[in-house]
Amino acid sequence: MSNLEQLKQLILDTFLLDPSEFRLDLRREEVETWDSLGVVSLAVGVHETFGYHFTPEEATGLESVQDVVRILESKGIPFHE
Amino acid sequence: MRILRERAVEESLLALDRAWSEEATFAFLSQKSTVDEGWVERALAALPEALRRGHFALSTSGSTGHPKLVLGARSRAEHLADVLHEIQEGEPVQETILALPLSYCYAFVNQWLWARRRARRLVATEGFGRPDRLLRALVDSERAMICLVAAQLPLFARHFAQEAFPGVLRVHFAGGPFPQRELEAVRRRFPHATIFNNYGCAEAMPRLALRRGEEGESPSDVGRPIPGVELATGPGGELLFRSPFGALACFEGGPSWRFFCGEEWIPTGDLGRLAPSGRFELQGRANQVFKRYGEKIALAQVLETVGGCFGGQAQAYRERDRMAEEGYVLVLSPEPRAEELRAILSAFRALYPRAQWPLRIESSATLPCLPNGKLDVAALAQLPGKTIHWRNRI
Repeated sequence: MSNLEQLKQLILDTFLLDPSEFRLDLRREEVETWDSLGVVSLAVGVHETFGYHFTPEEATGLESVQDVVRILESKGIPFHE
Repeated sequence: MRILRERAVEESLLALDRAWSEEATFAFLSQKSTVDEGWVERALAALPEALRRGHFALSTSGSTGHPKLVLGARSRAEHLADVLHEIQEGEPVQETILALPLSYCYAFVNQWLWARRRARRLVATEGFGRPDRLLRALVDSERAMICLVAAQLPLFARHFAQEAFPGVLRVHFAGGPFPQRELEAVRRRFPHATIFNNYGCAEAMPRLALRRGEEGESPSDVGRPIPGVELATGPGGELLFRSPFGALACFEGGPSWRFFCGEEWIPTGDLGRLAPSGRFELQGRANQVFKRYGEKIALAQVLETVGGCFGGQAQAYRERDRMAEEGYVLVLSPEPRAEELRAILSAFRALYPRAQWPLRIESSATLPCLPNGKLDVAALAQLPGKTIHWRNRI
C-alpha cells in the first residue's frame, strides 16, 4: 500500500469518514470529528503508520490533510512518487 | 438436604419431581456449572434449621460470571407459577416445550413448576443440543408454550430455515434484552402465538415485570411489575424491587448466607427508569454504565445503536486504554459486511462524541454463551480467532 493510501485509510479511520469524503484538500473545519481528541488520535496514528512524532505545535496547527502530507514530506516521507 | 446435578433431561425431571415432593430442602445445579459440590454442601449446611425443609436453591452465574446460590421457598415459587398462569393467559395452553436448561430459574418456574401445578404436559427436549428433537416437538405441538432467550433466535434461523410452528400459542423471552427488532420474524415463525417479554433477576426467582411483545417499541421496555411486585429506582438510577416471590437468601461464597427480610429494596443489577407510559425501561446493567474522559457511556444504548446497523449479534466488554482510562470493545458476530461496518462507524460519528466510541471493533464467527444461554461477556475478551476491523487510537 502506498503512503498516500495508508494516509487515506488513517484519515478515514480516525475521523470515521466515508471513502467518498476523502480529499487531500479536506480541511479541519469540514470534519466535525476533527476535534482536540481527534488531533491526538491522528498524531498517534501518524506515529504508528509513518514512525514520525508530530510536535505539539505541528499537531495543533494542522488545518488540512495537505498539511499532514507537507510535514511528512519535509521529514523524507514521500507522497508524490 | 440433597444436591441434584442436572443430567439427561428425563432423568432430571424424575429427580426434581421426587425432590419437590419430599420435605428436605435441596439444591439443583446446572449440568455445566463449574460450582464445586463441596461449596454447595457448605452453603446448605450453613442454613438455619427453619430453612432446611420446604425450600430449594438454584445456582446461577447470571450475566456476571460469578457463581451464586439463591434460596427460594417452594410455596412462593408455586404462588408465582400460579400468578404467571393468570397474567400470561396460560389456561388454553396444554403443554410446554422445554428448550432451555431445566436448572435455569426461568425454565424451572415458567415451565417445570407451571406444568406441575397446572397438570400440563412438559415436552422435554435438549434445545439446540439436539435440533432434530426440538424440531419434532415444535412441529407436533398443539396448544403449546415455549420459553426462549433471544440468543436462540439465530439458531432457529440456522437449523429450521423458514419453518413455522402454528401449534405454539405462547412464546416467552427472558434473560436479556427483548428481541424487538426480530419481532416480525418471531411472529412469522410462531403465527398463532402471543409473545411476551419477561423481566427479572436471580434474586427475584425470577420474575418481576411483563409485557406483550407489541406493547413496546424498544428492547429496553420491560413492561409493568407483575401483581404483588414493586419496582422503584434508587438515587443512582439503580432499579430496585420488593417481591413476595423473591429469594429468601443468597450465598456468594460465604461463610454465611445473606438473608432478605422482605422489607428491603433489592437491586436488580440494572439501571432503569419509570417511563411516562407507566412501564419501566432499562438503561443498562449497573456495571455497564461508566464514564470515559468525562463522557457517560451506557453500553446498552451503544448496542441498541449498533443493532440498528448490523444484522448479527453485538456485544461489548470493558477494557482500559493505554492511558488506563476505562473503555470498551465492541464484538460483532458474524463478521460484518463492509457496508454494515461503514454504517456502524457512521452512526458513532453522528450520534456519539469520540470518547464514547469503542476502543476496537472486533468480530467472531460465534459468541460464547453461558449454560443458561446468556452471552458470556466475561469470556469475550479472551475469545480466540477474533478479527479486528477498526480501532480507536486514544
